[in-house]
Order: sequence, then structure tokens, then C-alpha cells
Amino acid sequence: MLKLNRIVKELNLRVIVAHNIDKVVSGGYASDLLSDVIAHSQKDNIWITLQTHQNIVAVASLKELVGIIIVNGRMPEDETIKKAKQEKIPILVTELSTFEVVGRLYGLGVRGIKQGVSPCLSRRIGIPQNAGQPQKKRRVKS
Amino acid sequence: MKKTVKLDKDTKYTKIQELTYELKVSNVMTNKVVTVTPGKTIYELRELFRTNRISGTPVVDKGKLIGIISIEDFIKCLAQGEMHTLISEKMTKRVKTLYADEPIIHAVRKFDQYGIGRFPVIEREGGKLVGIITKGDIIKGLLKKLEIEYHQEEIHRYRASHIFEDIIADSTSLILKYNIVGKDFNKAGECASGLKKTFYRLGIQPDIVRRAAIATYEAEMNIVVFTEGGRLTVSVEPQQIKIEADDSGPGIPDIKQAMQPGFSTASEWVRELGFGAGMGLPNIKNCTDKINIESKVGKGTHLETIIYLNNNA
Amino acid sequence: MTLKEIKKILKAEVIIGEDYLSMEVKMGCASDLMSDVLAYAKPDALLLTGLTNSQVIRTAEIVDIRAVCFIRGKKPDERTIKLAIEKNIVLLTTQMPMFESCGRLYKNGLASRLVKHK
Repeated sequence: MLKLNRIVKELNLRVIVAHNIDKVVSGGYASDLLSDVIAHSQKDNIWITLQTHQNIVAVASLKELVGIIIVNGRMPEDETIKKAKQEKIPILVTELSTFEVVGRLYGLGVRGIKQGVSPCLSRRIGIPQNAGQPQKKRRVKS
Repeated sequence: MKKTVKLDKDTKYTKIQELTYELKVSNVMTNKVVTVTPGKTIYELRELFRTNRISGTPVVDKGKLIGIISIEDFIKCLAQGEMHTLISEKMTKRVKTLYADEPIIHAVRKFDQYGIGRFPVIEREGGKLVGIITKGDIIKGLLKKLEIEYHQEEIHRYRASHIFEDIIADSTSLILKYNIVGKDFNKAGECASGLKKTFYRLGIQPDIVRRAAIATYEAEMNIVVFTEGGRLTVSVEPQQIKIEADDSGPGIPDIKQAMQPGFSTASEWVRELGFGAGMGLPNIKNCTDKINIESKVGKGTHLETIIYLNNNA
Repeated sequence: MTLKEIKKILKAEVIIGEDYLSMEVKMGCASDLMSDVLAYAKPDALLLTGLTNSQVIRTAEIVDIRAVCFIRGKKPDERTIKLAIEKNIVLLTTQMPMFESCGRLYKNGLASRLVKHK
């Protein structure tokens, strides 16, 4: 179970808004188009974007995202920070690009597809149906 | 674990790659093919190879390709004392061929795949033998084509990049004007695209072309998004490029604020189109050596940028 | 990394440019904001984006990007495809979302821009 504060540590992110930073991350979503995020992100996803506008907080709150990582060294606007504190949405910033941040998160085990949920999509892109689900422990015969 | 992707001279590399698709087998093959008939003897082959300075030849019977015989076959026969055997008995019968209209990339692959020295070339319709191709033919063909293209490009470049030297005047500037249509998102970027091509044609260094193109594109986008239209004026001088963008749009109330990365007044639809994230003016500033904005609310905006051409060209 | 490898990793479909799959890209660039691409992308990058309008092609042209991969199965309209053919830009589309696409390419060794330039 990967928690947001471990991501902060591993990727050396700067914490701008620190509320709820010990929550568990369910997966990742990378997009700069708010409509896309509204349509497709999943609960407790970590969202990677370079948008800094206060609307990102509204979207994150609506979709119950676990936090927002703003890339390319961009700083959220004051209004955005204020809103994020109100809504208790963590905001983290980094100099890294989206591609790099996602790559490193992927290395930590964060995935962009909610596994086992969309069999149609999983089949199309070749993910085993039971991937990500805990495997039953085999009893060792004594 | 991460491997770095290394590429040298990638532009030339891709040029050759392009040519391997563009050139056809018929463009590079040898048209005059020396052939033998199957009824001749291996002994007679010797004379044929010697006088024509070749090391293999197709065997043709009544205009039809039926085999191929090479100097290796000849040597084998020589060693075994079979010099008077008929060619038809010693030739390779299942001949790998290429069609005249195939791109030479196919030929390259086949040479790799079969490891043989030559392929007879036949017509796709009817299978008539029309030529023969070796690896050497492919290299020669590519080099010739490259030479022609570079030569043409050089002439173009020369004419364009020396325009300033040829003109005798106290000061020279080449002025390019573009009209920008407001709110037409599909046309946006056409000026920057045209400018980029023109600058390359003028022999301006790639780095400067890139900076000018980015600055122009952002300026153009601002006019498309925020105004009903405007004008772009680009002056190319021996020492610098000046890009001016004029519009009679709403104007910028606070220029200092507008220059802040991330500050934007763009509406949501613009953001969803991939612009309006407050990076336009900062981008222009980063790409140019000098920037000046004059704006009156309700009247319009004048943007002036300069890129220095600190070169000797 | 060649486009052929990328096609395989992302289980992507080639919209145009089947003949150019041996082309190499040097790095990945993931963005839905074209100003960001203009500011940071290096020539010969692969652009991954969820935008499909003609400005994607214009932007690619300006910064010498020669291959674009649309994510989440998005496909551009005819006008955009026509422009890409005109500008000699390869177009791919993958069913994977942006995050999964970037993650897989990064894992397979495609580089990214690490240092922010001026």
C-alpha cells in the first residue's frame, strides 16, 4: 500500500498543501485537461498536471483524488492554495516533467489502469484479469 | 537499467532512410544484364565472366529466367573436373528475385536475409528479366541521389542566405507580413509555420529559426484567442530579426502580471484546446533577446520582440 | 527507442506513417498544453497527448517533433490527419491512458527531460 507521503519522499517533492498526506494512493492519472480528469480519473488517484488554476482543486475534490502533483516547476496560484487548504487536497510541486514523474511513480508501483475493473480495456491492452489482486497464500505441506 | 538512446547525424540517417523507401529497385539496378543460355557449358562461362568482369549471371531460356550461376559454381566444377557439364545441371534453380517496382529497402532486407551477392530483377507483370542488382548498386544509387539533392539544396541555400551580401544599400531589411484571422483556431499557427519554412530557406541557423517560430506561434495564438484578428510583421536584418504583433483587441490591463508564468485570463474552452495556461508571454520572453509590450485597454496591443543573429553568415 | 518498439509497448495503432516505424525518438514528452510543449520539448521527442486538434500538429512542426501518440484511444479528425501527412508527422494511438503509457515507456528505457532549461 503506497502512501502519498512515501511518494513525497521518494520523488523529493515540495509540499505546498500538506493536509491528508498519509492517505493511500490507488493509482495515477496524468492530464492537463480538466474535462478528461472529470471523466476518467478514479477515486484516490494521484493527479499529475501542469495546470495551476484554482479549478484543479474543485476537480480533485469532486473526484475524491488523493492529491495533485504540479510539474515543470510551476507554482499554484494563491487562490488555488487557499482552496486546497479548505478542501484538504494535498498539493505537491516538482521541477520534473510529467513524463519523468509518471515514470518514477510507475517504478514505485503506481499504475494508470485500475486493474481488474474494466475487463474490456484490460483485455485490449493485455493485462491479466487477476493482476493486482492479492494472491492466495499457498499452504506449505509439512 | 535505463539505456540512453544515442543517435549521431540523425538528420542524414533519416534522409537515407527516406531514400530507401523513395528509390525503386529499377532506379539503381544495372539494366544491361549479361545472361547465358542453359545449353552452354561451364567452360564457356569462363570467357563470359572474364570479358564482362562479372561474378555471376542469370540463366535465361527463351526470355524466361530459369536459374542463376555464379563464380562459386564455376570454381566447384573446376575443382571436380566438370568443366564440360551443362550450365543447366549446375545452376541454382530456385532463384530469389526482386520486382523492379519494389522500394530498395526491400532489396536491403533480402540481401540481409539470404546473404547472397545479387538478385535478378524481374517485371511484376509477366516476370520478364529487366536487370540485376548488387549491394554495390544500392550504395551507388543512394550516393548519387544524395549528391543531387545536396547540390540542389546548396544552390537554394546559397541564393537565399547571401541575399544581404548581394544587395548594396546603407541598410537592408526583408519584411514579411502576415494577416492573422481572429477566433479561427484551425488556421492558427499557419504564420509561424510559413515563417519557419521561410527562415530555413534564408539559411538562418536552426536554433534561431526555432526560437523565432515559437515566439511567433505564441504571439499568433494570443491574437487568435483574444482578438478579432491582427497583423504580424517580421523584419529580417543582417544583425537581427524583429517580430511585431499588432491587434486592436481588448488590451492588457496589467502587463507585469500578464508576464507572470501561470497568469491567464483565458476561458475554459481555450484551456481545453491546449492553450491559455499562462505560458504564452513567458514563452515569448524566453525565446527572444528583447521584448516590449505596449497596450491600451479597449484599443489594442503592440508586441515587439528582437532576436539577435550574432553570426557571421 | 524506435517507433516500432513504442508501438509494441503501448499496443498502439498506426494512424499514419507505417513506413517510418524504424525512426528513433530520443525522449518522451507528455502534455496536453501546447505552450508547455513549445517551451520544453526537444527535437525528435515523442509527444504523448490527449489533445487531437490541428494545433498539436502545428506545435510538433514548430519544435521538430516527428511522432505523436494520442492516448486513451483518441483519434484526430480528418483535417488534423491531413495536416500531419503534409508535415510528415507520424501519428499513433493507444488505448492506454496517459499515466500507463508514460510509465511503460519510461520503464522500457525512454528518456525524459530531466533538467529545466532557461
